Amino acid sequence: MASMSMSLHAVNHRLTNIPVKQLPPIASCLATSLSNCGEILSAPQNQKSKSESDTAIQVHKLMTRLASLIQDKSPEGRWTAVVLIKAVVEAGQWEILRGCEPLVRGLIAVLSKSDPNVTKKMSVITLTRIFHLTYQYPTLVREITTPSLPGFITAALNLISVKPSSEPIRKLKPNTPFLEIVLSALGELIARHPTIFRPFSAQIHSVLQAVIGSASPTFPQSVLDSAEQLFISLHHCAPKNTSGEEWKTACQMTLASIHGTADYVFRAVVEQWESADPALRNASKPQNYTKEVCDEGFDALGLGPWQGLDSGVNRLVVLLQMLSACLTTATASTVIIPLGAVLDLTSRLTSVIVPTAGREVQPNPQISRTEREHLFAELPRIHAATMELLTSLVQTLETGAVPIAQTILEQTLWVYRAEKSSRGVRVSAYDLVHTLLSHMGPSLTKQSVSTLADLIRSCCHDLLPPVHEPATNTPDAKGKGKTNQATANADSFLNPALKQSRQATAPSHPGLKTTASALLAAILTHVPSEHLSPSLRAEIDRTTILSTNKDTMLASVLNPIPPVQGRSTSASIMPFLARSFPADQSVESLIRPRMPVISHTQNVGTYIDDEEEEEDEEDEIAEENPQEQTQSFLQSTTPLLNMDTQKPKSKPTPKRTLEPKPHSTEKAPEQSKRPRVDDATVTPVPAQPALDRSSPSTFTGTAAVSVPASAGVTAAPPPRVTSANDPATGTVGGPLSGSAVAQVPGSDDESDDELPTLNMDPDTDDEDEDETMEG
Amino acid sequence: MLSECFIASTLTSSKAPASASLRDVGICVHEFQPSPNLRSTFKKSSTAVNCLAVSPSHVFAAQSEKAIVHVYSREKGNQEAVIPFPERIRSIAIAGSKNGDVLVLGTEGGRLILWETCSGRQVATTASHLSPVTSLAVDPSENFILSGSSDASIHVWSLVDLLSFTKLPSGRDRQPPNSPLRTFSNHRAAITSLALGHSPGRYNIAVSTAQDNTAIAWDYHTGRVLRTFLLPSSAISVTLDPVDRAFYVGYEDGSIQSVDLYKHQSIQHTLHDPSLQSIPSQPSAEDKWSPPSADCGAAHSLSLSYDGMTLLSGHQNGKVLSWNVGRRKYATTVADYTHPVTNVSMLSLNGLPQPALDVKRTAHTIVKPRYDGGLSESTHAAGAVPADYTFSTHLLTSSPATTRNLDGSARTNQFTEAFTSAVFPDSMIEEGLAELALMNQTGGATAPIAPMAMQTTNDEDLAARDSHIASLESEISTLKKKSTVNDAARQLTTDEVTKLRADIVHLHDYINELHQKQEQAQKDKVLRQARKEARETQKREAWFSAEKKGKKGDVVMRKMEAEDSMQTSDSEDQSSDE
Repeated sequence: MASMSMSLHAVNHRLTNIPVKQLPPIASCLATSLSNCGEILSAPQNQKSKSESDTAIQVHKLMTRLASLIQDKSPEGRWTAVVLIKAVVEAGQWEILRGCEPLVRGLIAVLSKSDPNVTKKMSVITLTRIFHLTYQYPTLVREITTPSLPGFITAALNLISVKPSSEPIRKLKPNTPFLEIVLSALGELIARHPTIFRPFSAQIHSVLQAVIGSASPTFPQSVLDSAEQLFISLHHCAPKNTSGEEWKTACQMTLASIHGTADYVFRAVVEQWESADPALRNASKPQNYTKEVCDEGFDALGLGPWQGLDSGVNRLVVLLQMLSACLTTATASTVIIPLGAVLDLTSRLTSVIVPTAGREVQPNPQISRTEREHLFAELPRIHAATMELLTSLVQTLETGAVPIAQTILEQTLWVYRAEKSSRGVRVSAYDLVHTLLSHMGPSLTKQSVSTLADLIRSCCHDLLPPVHEPATNTPDAKGKGKTNQATANADSFLNPALKQSRQATAPSHPGLKTTASALLAAILTHVPSEHLSPSLRAEIDRTTILSTNKDTMLASVLNPIPPVQGRSTSASIMPFLARSFPADQSVESLIRPRMPVISHTQNVGTYIDDEEEEEDEEDEIAEENPQEQTQSFLQSTTPLLNMDTQKPKSKPTPKRTLEPKPHSTEKAPEQSKRPRVDDATVTPVPAQPALDRSSPSTFTGTAAVSVPASAGVTAAPPPRVTSANDPATGTVGGPLSGSAVAQVPGSDDESDDELPTLNMDPDTDDEDEDETMEG
Repeated sequence: MLSECFIASTLTSSKAPASASLRDVGICVHEFQPSPNLRSTFKKSSTAVNCLAVSPSHVFAAQSEKAIVHVYSREKGNQEAVIPFPERIRSIAIAGSKNGDVLVLGTEGGRLILWETCSGRQVATTASHLSPVTSLAVDPSENFILSGSSDASIHVWSLVDLLSFTKLPSGRDRQPPNSPLRTFSNHRAAITSLALGHSPGRYNIAVSTAQDNTAIAWDYHTGRVLRTFLLPSSAISVTLDPVDRAFYVGYEDGSIQSVDLYKHQSIQHTLHDPSLQSIPSQPSAEDKWSPPSADCGAAHSLSLSYDGMTLLSGHQNGKVLSWNVGRRKYATTVADYTHPVTNVSMLSLNGLPQPALDVKRTAHTIVKPRYDGGLSESTHAAGAVPADYTFSTHLLTSSPATTRNLDGSARTNQFTEAFTSAVFPDSMIEEGLAELALMNQTGGATAPIAPMAMQTTNDEDLAARDSHIASLESEISTLKKKSTVNDAARQLTTDEVTKLRADIVHLHDYINELHQKQEQAQKDKVLRQARKEARETQKREAWFSAEKKGKKGDVVMRKMEAEDSMQTSDSEDQSSDE
């Protein structure tokens, strides 16, 4: 407390004694110290003691100084004041807020002064924050917000627009730097003060129409986002009880606008789509095919005309974003989301695709080929926006989207197949499938999983580092569409080490990688692992290892390959996980669990093979296990709420587990209450359990590493492995590390010689199986 | 502050409640911790076992012996609707527990009805059970429904397949649509209760009890038995530990038994250890906790507290008892509702910040089932989502619509970044400082001009005139330039003129001088002439005088001529100087 009061003193001293011109450089430090003084700034100011009254005086002094600074003549003074007011308001909460009425007036005045842009931006943010903070205190709303909010709205609107006449219409200023800030601020406030905003709603609406409908110049995406959200939020201003209707109208207008724009944009092809809504079936207007594609009128939302295919596609994308804003912006009351109409729209948009072999699109003979090709080039953008709309739909509805999830998945895959070459489409599709899988993954059938195979493969491809194949390498699997160039790159014959060092210059797409690895983890987690074909699973595992992503590796280990007939257990990439993230908590808990292990042995018939190892394991553990019973296990958890039901006891620590444990069955149970599994951590070979459960040699087939005939014999472990104490440990390291070796040249190990180069082409029977499934 | 509540429902009996506050009450929300007391009540309901379902916004209570479900709004605390169904409802469950989107109802006739409470759509399954569906459970991944019936079988249904508009073409071939995925038929008598583990993953378990005195733990993803437990008598209720370490069953006599799943010393999970799966196990009698008094009646329903250390049981005599799991015995009587307590269910904790579980939307009112299209799916085109399919909900939070650019990189918003942070972010402060510095730099002596220049750039209402002003300014500057050029030129000419004038003056002076010299020369000439004439005359006089004297005049002449030449050379020198 004393230190706080001291630092408040110091701040006051500097504020009053340093010339105003020199304040800005130290403003940020002052703000930080003020925000650390939160406790005394927010303390009630009516205490009697001397020290308290002293701090009260200091607080008062500070507020007075700020009030004078905000009205200072120099822009430096005002700038400093804005920075400090924000800090004080955040720190002081109610105590400061109740006295900030003059500050609010000063801040609003700054907006109309000739201050630098940043000062105005910061004032807008600070004012919004003050109004935001006062919202929870009705008295403060009455005293501060209600009187000054209209002034603020006018000043803020004046920053971005001009009001030419008495009509409630505003004209957008060109090139204003405040657009994003002001729209976000209004969007933040409109939901809380709808009645104050109501007189302005027409003005705001006209500004937003100009922003959203502007064909040129186009605004940055962040501005459009804020504008769309604010546009949707305008329904808050609707008179009592009609906000739901208003929202629905906005939503339907957007839908109608999209349909109207699509009528023009898609005119180069004959659409095969038929609306589920009879009203829409024959609604399209006749068009003038002789002119360049354009919309000369105002559409349902009142957005202005556009000309040219590029502007049309831009408009379509913006409208699709608007529709997703509808679904992600908080509403004033219960609204009725027209799911049927939205899906009808997406089915229309996704039905027109870039033609591929076997999937032709019927051209419209009245339109030139140039325009059609232009349309096909722009289609991926439309489809990426469509999929983003569907993603936000699923994210909003969560389980409510289950009835339409299958429909969405089909639309996505349809588009994806045709346009996977576009990065935007891939990112959106990965994202959407990821979202869908978390709701419907576990109940996917084998057939629907096989329709995902193509997507999964390209997801793996996106994650893998660029492959620089030495000329000696065998060409890749035929299914992956890689052709060996006839005209070889001359550089590839040159110094390979040089190439390695230059690899990093390849363009990276962090977003693509993030979404792809998230999708991979989701597939492993949610899709029943028995439905993934072995070759696909092997590719996923290989990608997982090579991209060294912890989440996907963990997901792979936690969802092991189900046992195949005749084999006891399957391969696991656990060694790679343990190598890559030895210090990670989740890896630790996986490898040295404190709870009994769930193994994935399923077939009772093959259990015998495994038993010996299992017993070894158990013996080791059992030796050190206290023979504790269930009671101790349950009691050892620290209860959250009722500590009193248990006797106090210390939590088990690693130190305790090092002590030798007597098998004290005669001990009273209360005395040895500790989780018995703790002791597993002190086994001499800690990784043993993990390795043991990965099996001998089974993954030669499942991991799709094409192994020479000798290794193809299932039960026999590969002969030349490390001198491990049991064959299982060696095998686990062997072939799988071999697979990595083949990819990463230079990391030789002793098992290298018997392993061929990595060939993702699976064993022939696997491949056949795979193909029949996909076909 | 943290608080934990439970909800209990009763089956109306002939007994009259002791306290007036409980008259007519069928469902009670009761605070359990920290201070046990009655929070709120819902009236006019009489529910059988497994006939109460709670969503964050509503309470659904299937009425016993009737084909109706009462819907109560938790927000408003009143009865919102009475929904009639074509059959008697014997059990209900909520799917999508976060929002309570789908209500699953098990009917007397052995079918399931799925009612989407936000859209009013209704889907009915085949009547796969031969007897009434008495217990229902939805798994944590919201993908599977388990239904237990008195016909001793448990069906596993896929929620996604049942609800999906697009039915997969094959997959479950040779099966009628809306039929169960698989059937678990290891029980030999009527199923009494069902509980599911808490994992959304592949290794989740189900525990079911039946009247054949067994409890079976099994894997509902495969239908494989994991463990059979032989119980001393027939259990009528079951619940699972939050960590799935144990399950608890309630008996007809009011006693509770805990069955520990980790009893065996094995690194293998007991349930997943294949060597134990075929051997039924018998929980020891000491794990059976006896009720405080014999008149408690059957333990109809069990529920565990959030931490898993307190077990609540609802009994036939109207009491809700709490049991201490750690000490394995009865702890206290929490409440007494007079009527038989058929359902007890712990509600999730209030006041625990769990952003992942925050509801993003809420349904203030439910949408009643629509019978027109609901049951007759065939009216729609196959697979298509009908155009009038709507979903009514109240969206609560605004999430940024799309936070990614087209290539997937994250987008940032200056406003949201600065809005809730304690101080302005550094980037903004630096921008401001740079702007101020720039202002001072361009300012200096012209400080008052700089803000004006700022204003012209800032104030966009002048923007229309901006270009005009700019053009004017450029014009002015060119004019100024021109004028300075002109000035300079003029200056130059005047300089020249003055210089020329000075030159003229100089020349005049020079001319004058020359004139004077000329005059001087003239004068000199005249003088010399005069002198010459004078000498000539002198010479002549001298010659004449010499001739007169008789001397030779020529000698004198020569003498005088020599003098003359000296004089003339002098004079000539003088003249040449001039």
